[in-house]
Amino acid sequence: MSEASASHEVDSWRFTGSMIGKVLGSAIPDTPKHAPIPWAPFTKPLSEARVALLTTAGLSMKGDTPFDMEFERQNPTRGDSTFRMLRADATEADIEANHLHIDTGYIERDINVALPLPLLHGLAKEGVIGSVAPTHYSIMGFQGADSSQLENESAPAIAKQLISEEVDLILLAPV
Amino acid sequence: MGLVARQIEAAGVPTVTLNMIPAYQRLVGMPRVAAIEHPFGRPYGDVGDAERQRAVIDAALAFATTASAPGEVTHLPFLWHQEPKETHWHPAEPSPIIGLMKERAAKRAAKEATE
Repeated sequence: MSEASASHEVDSWRFTGSMIGKVLGSAIPDTPKHAPIPWAPFTKPLSEARVALLTTAGLSMKGDTPFDMEFERQNPTRGDSTFRMLRADATEADIEANHLHIDTGYIERDINVALPLPLLHGLAKEGVIGSVAPTHYSIMGFQGADSSQLENESAPAIAKQLISEEVDLILLAPV
Repeated sequence: MGLVARQIEAAGVPTVTLNMIPAYQRLVGMPRVAAIEHPFGRPYGDVGDAERQRAVIDAALAFATTASAPGEVTHLPFLWHQEPKETHWHPAEPSPIIGLMKERAAKRAAKEATE
C-alpha cells in the first residue's frame, strides 16, 4: 500500500471531481497573490520538540458542544467558525465528527487518518519527537464566504493556548 | 485553514500544513506546505494503513527541519492506492452549498427551457 514514486508533483484536482474543482479553482489566481508570509524558525531538534496537531474535520470530544451543522444547513455559504480543544489521549471512541463536505466515517473508524494522536504518542515513545502537547485542536474547514471569525478569533485563541503549553511545532491537516 | 496556519506562525509557533490542494498556496501563502495527493478526509492515509500514516507524519515532521524560507512547498511522493472514483470521500448527502448550486443550476435550466 505504501507505494511512493521518487518524485511526484501533487495534482490539486485529482480527487475533487470537475464541478468542485472548477468552483475551487476559480478562486485561485494563476500567480501568487497573498500577503507576505509569516515565519517562525523551527530551531529545536525534532527529538526535543513538543508537537501538537490540528485537523479541520470538525472533531469534538464526546460531551463537548459539537460543531454546529444546523447553522450551515440554514446558511449554505457559511460555516461554524469556532474551534475545539481535544485531549492528547483521544481515540476514535472519544470523538465525534461534524463536517458536511466529507465522509466522516473514515476518521470515526481510525482517528489516525486525519488526527494521528495514537501515532504521535508512538513517535514520542521512540524519541523521534520530544513530547506530545497536552492539547490538540479541531476547526471545521468549510467557512464559505466569510473566514474572518476563524482567522481573527479562533486562530489567535489557538495560538495563545499553544504558547501557554510551550508547543514547538504544530502540524495542520485540512481534510 | 491556511489563514489559521498564518496566524499561528505570526504568533511565533512554527507550522507545517499538509495540503491536498497545494494550488491554494498562491492564494493564501502558508508558511510551510507539505503537499499530498490523498483523497479528502484522509490526509495521513487510509483506515488501518499504519505504514502510510507513519510515513506521512514522518515526512511532515522532517519538512519542518528542512524548510528554510517562508512559503516553501514540498511535494510528498505518496500515491493513493485507488482511482479517484473508488475513494468515496463524498458525504452521503451533498453539502448545503453544493445543494444550493445544483438548485440554482436547475432553476437556470428550467428558465432557459421556457424561453
